[in-house]
Amino acid sequence: MNITAIEIKNLSFNYGKLKVIDDVSLEIAKGISFGLLGSNGAGKTTLIRLMVGLLKPKTGSVFCLGKPPSPATARNIGYMPQLPSLYSELTVYQNIDFFARIYGLRAHNTRNQRVDEVIKLVDLWPKKNVSVSQLSGGMKQRVSLACAIVHNPPLLFLDEPTVGLDPELRVHFWEYFGNLTAAGHTLIVSSHTMDDAAHCQKLIFMREGKVIALGTPDELRGAVGKPNTTLEDAFLYFIRHGEVKSHVQ
Amino acid sequence: MFSNIITIARRSIQQLVRDRRTIALIIVVPLVIASLIGVSLPNKAVLNQTLPALLAVLILFFGFLLSGISFLRERSQGTRERLMASPVSRGDIIFGYLLGFLLFAILQTLVLFFYTVYIIKIDFMGDLWQIIIFQILIGILAVCLGIFLSAFARNEFQMVQFIPLIIIPQVFICGVLFPVNTQPEWLQWIAKFLPLTYGVDGIKAMMLEGKGLLDIGKEIAVLASYAVVLMALAGISLRRGHVA
Repeated sequence: MNITAIEIKNLSFNYGKLKVIDDVSLEIAKGISFGLLGSNGAGKTTLIRLMVGLLKPKTGSVFCLGKPPSPATARNIGYMPQLPSLYSELTVYQNIDFFARIYGLRAHNTRNQRVDEVIKLVDLWPKKNVSVSQLSGGMKQRVSLACAIVHNPPLLFLDEPTVGLDPELRVHFWEYFGNLTAAGHTLIVSSHTMDDAAHCQKLIFMREGKVIALGTPDELRGAVGKPNTTLEDAFLYFIRHGEVKSHVQ
Repeated sequence: MFSNIITIARRSIQQLVRDRRTIALIIVVPLVIASLIGVSLPNKAVLNQTLPALLAVLILFFGFLLSGISFLRERSQGTRERLMASPVSRGDIIFGYLLGFLLFAILQTLVLFFYTVYIIKIDFMGDLWQIIIFQILIGILAVCLGIFLSAFARNEFQMVQFIPLIIIPQVFICGVLFPVNTQPEWLQWIAKFLPLTYGVDGIKAMMLEGKGLLDIGKEIAVLASYAVVLMALAGISLRRGHVA
């Protein structure tokens, strides 16, 4: 049985002359939460788009659940883009129901049951029949998450899922993400906050399209070699000391 | 595949239906324009001669605007990215939108046509339902044109700029206001490559000369070919692996 969810070899990508992903190689095991950490413009979103198949690599390769990304692999993937990306005229229910249908939940009863289930899960039951345009930013994020998970995918890509969420909701999201990985799902989460990083079982630090460090949060903190090091300290350490990922691999 | 097309069509219809102001505008605006044409051309003979061609223009214009802006919004609100990451194919998206918008284009066409026939009371020849079928073909072309051109616009403002660029020149060149053969030779040559020329020729042949669909095979073939080519080009613009 293949235990790798994502396999990336010598991946590079550029927009025109701007190199956005620079020779990235990476393996992500199944059943963990994996963080892509970096400041804005580090290449996190582009890397996710390459893994999902929205972008084609200029050089190198991406294997998603053992195959190059395609509409066939997409059925097993959930994707939550950085922006809420919802149909603002439609209700919460209609948005989630649409994505449930697109991902192959055809049987009426099963689909209805699952849509109701995820609406409750993201705590939006009272807003079920409200237009998305009338929701707050945090609520839209929740609907967006619900659309990504409605088909119960084994592999989930979440691009900055906690942006705009209040601290309570952020905790709620991470509790749910923890439940998903415990159930064997793989989560790939991008973020620029160290609070999110601490929740990941494994993560990379990215800068200017390169992976500058890879390891568990403890390994990354430990690589600094000082007591009481935070992940933020570790991130700054790796940025200042260049590409030293071999320290923690 | 077919179920995805229906799902996308259903959603695009739901979206428009929930936007009541847009629905009202879809129905009312063509009627206002048709009324203005009716009032501004009090000479019945001129009205009878001009209105069939203007009907073709209005169907093309409103269908183009509706589908172009709606499809563009799919990108600007980020849902296209989400769709392209899902198991749906490019064909599902294009045909789904085509089917969804076509219902509104048909609605607009029928409202406009019956209004001009029964309220403005223009005289026409030819079979009513054959004329409607030909108008629906112009509607399909309009939807395809809107979907294709939306690939070149980044926002609604840019999309609206395609109206003076794509639609208005055709009004002057394609025989809507003046017969094509009265224009300079080079403009006549250009007119041969513009779809509205065939829309206008076809609808005039039916409404003014009483011809049927079988008599305007060339016009139907050209309009259908345009629609197929535009749909194929729209599909290319939606390639997976190129969503930036």
